[in-house]
Amino acid sequence: MTAKKWLGLFVAALAVTGVIWAGFNVITDSYGVFGDRFLDFYSYDMTRNPRVAKIAWLDEHHDDYDSYIIGCSGSSSIPTEPLNEAFDANFYNMIMYGADLLDVEQTARYLLDNYEVKNIVVSLYVDNAIEYNVGEDDINSRLHAKVSGKPLLPFYLKYLFLNPSYGIDKLKSYFSDTDMPQVFDVFDVETGAYDKRLRDVEPIQTLEEYVEQPEYAVFANYPTGQYGMTQIDNCVKSLTAIRDMCEEAGVNLVVVNNPCYVDYLRYYSADDLALFAQKIAEVTPFWDFSFSSVSYDPRYWYDKTHFRNSVGDMMAAVMTGDESLYVPEGFGHYVTPETAPDSSDYAQDLRAPEDSYTASVPVILYHHLDENGEGDVTIRTDNFRAQMQAIKDAGYQTVSPEDLYRYVYEGTPLPDNPILITFDDGYSSNYELAYPILRELDMKATIFVIGVSVGKDVYKDTDYAITPHFSWEQANEMIASGLITIQTHTYDFHQWPLYEAEQSTARENVLPLAGESEQSYIAALLPDLQRARQELEQATGKTCFALAYPEGQSTKLSWMVAAKAGLDMTFSTRPAVSTVIKGLPQSLLNMPRISVDDITAEELLATLADAGA
Amino acid sequence: MSFTSVTYIVFLVALTVLYYVIPKRCQWMLLLAASYVFYCCGGVKTVVYLLFTTLTVYAAGLLLGRLNAQRRSLPDGADKARLQEAIKRRKKAVVAAACLLNFGMLYTLKYWDFTAQLLGRALNRSLPSLGLLMPLGVSFFVFQSIGYVIDVYRGKQEPQRNVAKFALFTSFFPQIIQGPISRYNQLAPQLYAERTLDYDKLRDGIQLILWGFFKKLLIAERAGVVANTVFDNAGQYPGSILAAGTLAYCIQLYCDFSGGIDITRGTAQMLGIEMTENFRRPLFARSLTDFWRRWHITLGGWMRDYVFYPLSLSKPFARLGRWSRGHIKGKAGKILATSLATFIVYLLIGIWHGSSLKYIFFGFYNGIIITVSLLMEARFVGWRSRLHMTDDSRGWNLVRIARTCVIVFIGRYITRAPRLLTGLGMLWRTVTDFQPSALVSGSLLGLGIGVMDYVIVICAVLVLVLVEYAQERGVHIRQWLAERPAGVQFIAALVPLLLLLFCTGGDYVPAQFIYAQF
Repeated sequence: MTAKKWLGLFVAALAVTGVIWAGFNVITDSYGVFGDRFLDFYSYDMTRNPRVAKIAWLDEHHDDYDSYIIGCSGSSSIPTEPLNEAFDANFYNMIMYGADLLDVEQTARYLLDNYEVKNIVVSLYVDNAIEYNVGEDDINSRLHAKVSGKPLLPFYLKYLFLNPSYGIDKLKSYFSDTDMPQVFDVFDVETGAYDKRLRDVEPIQTLEEYVEQPEYAVFANYPTGQYGMTQIDNCVKSLTAIRDMCEEAGVNLVVVNNPCYVDYLRYYSADDLALFAQKIAEVTPFWDFSFSSVSYDPRYWYDKTHFRNSVGDMMAAVMTGDESLYVPEGFGHYVTPETAPDSSDYAQDLRAPEDSYTASVPVILYHHLDENGEGDVTIRTDNFRAQMQAIKDAGYQTVSPEDLYRYVYEGTPLPDNPILITFDDGYSSNYELAYPILRELDMKATIFVIGVSVGKDVYKDTDYAITPHFSWEQANEMIASGLITIQTHTYDFHQWPLYEAEQSTARENVLPLAGESEQSYIAALLPDLQRARQELEQATGKTCFALAYPEGQSTKLSWMVAAKAGLDMTFSTRPAVSTVIKGLPQSLLNMPRISVDDITAEELLATLADAGA
Repeated sequence: MSFTSVTYIVFLVALTVLYYVIPKRCQWMLLLAASYVFYCCGGVKTVVYLLFTTLTVYAAGLLLGRLNAQRRSLPDGADKARLQEAIKRRKKAVVAAACLLNFGMLYTLKYWDFTAQLLGRALNRSLPSLGLLMPLGVSFFVFQSIGYVIDVYRGKQEPQRNVAKFALFTSFFPQIIQGPISRYNQLAPQLYAERTLDYDKLRDGIQLILWGFFKKLLIAERAGVVANTVFDNAGQYPGSILAAGTLAYCIQLYCDFSGGIDITRGTAQMLGIEMTENFRRPLFARSLTDFWRRWHITLGGWMRDYVFYPLSLSKPFARLGRWSRGHIKGKAGKILATSLATFIVYLLIGIWHGSSLKYIFFGFYNGIIITVSLLMEARFVGWRSRLHMTDDSRGWNLVRIARTCVIVFIGRYITRAPRLLTGLGMLWRTVTDFQPSALVSGSLLGLGIGVMDYVIVICAVLVLVLVEYAQERGVHIRQWLAERPAGVQFIAALVPLLLLLFCTGGDYVPAQFIYAQF
C-alpha cells in the first residue's frame, strides 16, 4: 500500500475513532447534557456539575415543580417540604456549589423564560459580595449554555468530545453505586438538595467532642481573616435584575441572607455587613439569618458557611410562621430599608449561655433484676430500690424520651437535674420487680423490648428456656401508669448464636455480618426495625421513635437505616452523660448510657458524678 | 505545550499544513516562528537564555569562521607557523569564551544553588541561592550549540552567517525540550532545505508519533504513578515493593524519554526532516558500555566527540598512558589513561543529569563498572569458554543482557531516590528485607493504580518488548505492516487510536517529561 493510501486509511480510522468517542460520551453522558438516557444517573451528573445537569434534568421534569430555591451550596439546607406546604407549591432546590450572583441571575432568567414559575427563593450569603463571575469556563462550574447564553454548538461539542475518562469513571461509579451517598453522587435528584442522609444522622454531643473530630477541628481555633466587599455593586445589580424579572413575570420573590458562622462573619467589618444588608434591603425586603446565637455554636455547622439541615428547618419555620418548631430567640429578621440592621447590630455579642439551649442528661441502663443479683447485668431488687431512692434524694428528676424529644425539637424545658432510666431487653423482672418500685417512688423509666421476645420464656421457635420477658398486656399496664415508656431494642437483631440454627449468620447486634454487602444488610435490618416499630405501635397504641442498639453497637449505615425506619432517637452504651441540644436532632442519636449493675447506691451516685452529671 | 496535549496535536497539524502550502523559501522561517511560539508557550521570560546562547554562539561561529579563513589564507613564509599558532590561540580563546559564557549560564541556572548549599555547609555560613526559573531544555540547547562551536573551531563546519537561520538550529521546537542533541552538519542543512510533501515521510512521522504516545500515555504515566508512590514513601515498603517501584521507574523513564523522542522524530519526519536516533533498544544491551551506546545516544556521542577523544588525545593523557604502561603491569597499565577519561566522561554525564551528590555517585558507579569490566574481560572470556559458549551463543547473550539490566536497575535506585543516602538505603533493604510475599498480598494495589492499569501496563510492555525484539532481529515492522491487506492496516491504525483514547488521561495528571528538568 502506498503511503498516500495509508494516510487515507488513517483519516478513516480517525473518523471511526471520532464516532466511537462521541457515541461513548452520549451513552455515558457524565454531565447529563444529553439527557442521560442510558444510565439515568443524574445524582452523578449533578455532582460533576450541578449547573449543567440540573438544567438538563429540569428540561425533562420541570412540570413536577413550580418554585425554585437558587443559590450556592449553603442553600442546600433550606428544606423544600415546609416551603411546599406554606406556599402550596412544589419547590426544587437549584443549589449550585460556588454559585455567585451572576449564576443565580442567569439561572433565574432561564427558569422564568422557560418554565412555569410561582416562587423563587434566592439564597444569598456574605461571600456573594466578594465573588462574582467566577469559574465560568471550568467544566465543573460552568453554566449550561442555554442559561449563560453562550453558543450551543461549542458547548455540546465539548461534551461530545469529552475525555473518555469521565465516562469510564461514571461507568465505574454506576456499577459501584450503593444506597449510601458516596463522593460521586452527593445530590438527591428529586429535591435537588445535597443528599444529607448520612450527615443528618451523625451523632452530636458535647462541643469538646465535636471539635475533636478532624473534619470539625477547624472550629477549635478558627483562623482569622479580612475581606472587603469588592463585588457588592455587581451583587446588587444582579439581585435588582432578578427582582425586576420576577415582578414582570408576576412571580413571588423571597430573598434570604443565609446564616454564617461567627468567626467567619468577622472576616467582614460590621460596617460592611450593615452596608450589605442595607443595599439588599434597598432592592427588596429579605430574611436575614446571617447573625444570631446559632452563629456561635459550631455544632450547628458543617463548616463556616454550611449550616446543618436542622438550621434550615428553623429558617423555614421562621419564614412560614410555623411556631411548633424550636427557633432560638433573635434568629431571623425580616429586613426592609427602614428596619435594616446597622453596624452596631453586627458588632454585638449574641452568644447564648450554653445551658439555655443544651442540657446534660445522664442515662442509666439496667437489664434484669432478681433477689440475688446473679449475672453481669442483674441487680438485686433491694439494691435497685436503694439506687432509685438515692437518685431521687439526690435531686434528680426522671424524664421520658418524649421529654427529651420535645426539648430538642420544640424547645420545651426539661426539669432541673433530668435523668433517664432505661432497661434493655424487656425482662419480666422489669414488670414484676422494678415497676412496683418506680410506681411507688413516682419515677419514670423506659424499657427497650426485643420484639420477637415479648411475652416469651423460651427462645423463639425453640424449647430453649430463657429469662422470661413481659407481655404486651403487662407493657400496656405499665404504660397506663404514665411512668413507663416502651421503645424498641430491634425486632430480632439481638440473637443468641448458640440457639440459632446457623450460628455464623446469627445477629447479636445491628453490625453487618462479616463480608455482608450493603444491600443485603439493609434488606435485613430495615424490615426488622420497621416490624419492631409497627408491632410495638399496634400493641401499645404509642409512637415508637427510640431504639437502643443491642450491645450498644452501631455503624454509620445502621444510623441511616434507623433514620429511614423512623427511629429518631437512638442509644449506645458508651459510658458518658448525654447532651441534648435544642434545634439539633442529632444530639438524640447514639446517646451515651451508663450501664449499672449491682453496685451500691453511693457507688451509683459517685459514678454519675464522675461522668459529669 | 506538552507533546501529549491536544494543543500540540492541533499545533502540529496546522504547522504541517502551512509548511507545505507556503512558498518553499519561507518554510524555514515558518519553522523558526513555530519554534519560538512553542518555546514561549513554556514561559516567555526564559526565552532570554535561549537568545543569549543563540547570539553568543552565533558570534563565536562568525569569529571562528573569520579566523579559519585567515589561517587558510596565510601566505607561505617564515612566520607562517608563528602566525598559525597565534590564530590558533585566538581561536582557542573564542571557544573558551563561548564555553565559559554558556556553560557559565548553565552552571548558574542549574548548579549554583547546589554549590551554594555545599559550599555554605563547608564554610559554615549560608550563601544566597538564586532560585532562578529553569529555562526549558537549557542543557540540550547549550550542548548542541557548543558542539557547533567546536565543529567550526575544528574547521569541520562553515559558520552560519544568517542569524535567523542559526536561531532555528538552536531552537528547533521538536527537540528543544529533551533532545536529541543534534550535530549542526546533520540537522541544519535539513532545516533550511526547501521541501515538497513526501507521503512516505508523513506516514512514517505519524506512525512514529503514535508509537511515542503509546509508550508515554499507556505505559509511562501509569508506571510513573507507581514509581512516585514508592519513592515518595520509601520508608514504608519492604524490599520487594521497593524493587517493584524501581522497576516501574525503569519502565517509566524509558517509555517517557524514548516515547518523547519518538514524538520529536515523528514530528520532524512529518516536516521532512530526519533526526538522529537517541535510543536503540537499550533493553538488549550486552554490557554497560553497550547500554550507553543505545541509551541517550546523542549525549554519549557528544561526550565522546567533544570530551573523551580530546581528553584521551591530549598531551597529559598521552604522557600518563606511556607512564602507566611502563610502570603498571598487565591490563591495568594499558587502560589507565583511557579509564581515567572514561571516568571523567561518566562523571560529566552524571552531573549533566542534575545537581546532586547522587548524580556524581551515579557517574562514578558507571565509571567503576566499565573499568572493572575492562579489567575482567579476560576472565569473562575464560568463564564463557569453560561453559562451552561462543561469543554469539544465545545463552551467553541472555546472561549478558540480564547482567546489564541488573546493573542499570541498581543505578536507577540512586538516580530516582530523593537523596543519595535514601537510594542506598532502599537498595540495602531490597537485599536484606525483600519479603517477596508483599508482591502478592495486595500491596501493589496500594501504589496508586488499579488492577486495570496493571493489566494495561503489562500488556503494553509486552507489546513493546516484542516489537523491540523483532526490531533487534532486523524485522522492519512498519514495512512488514505496509505489505498487509488494507483491512489489517486499518485495524492496526484504529486499535492504537482507540487505546490512546480510552486508556489515557483522566485521573492521571500528565506527568511532565522527566527529562525536561535535566
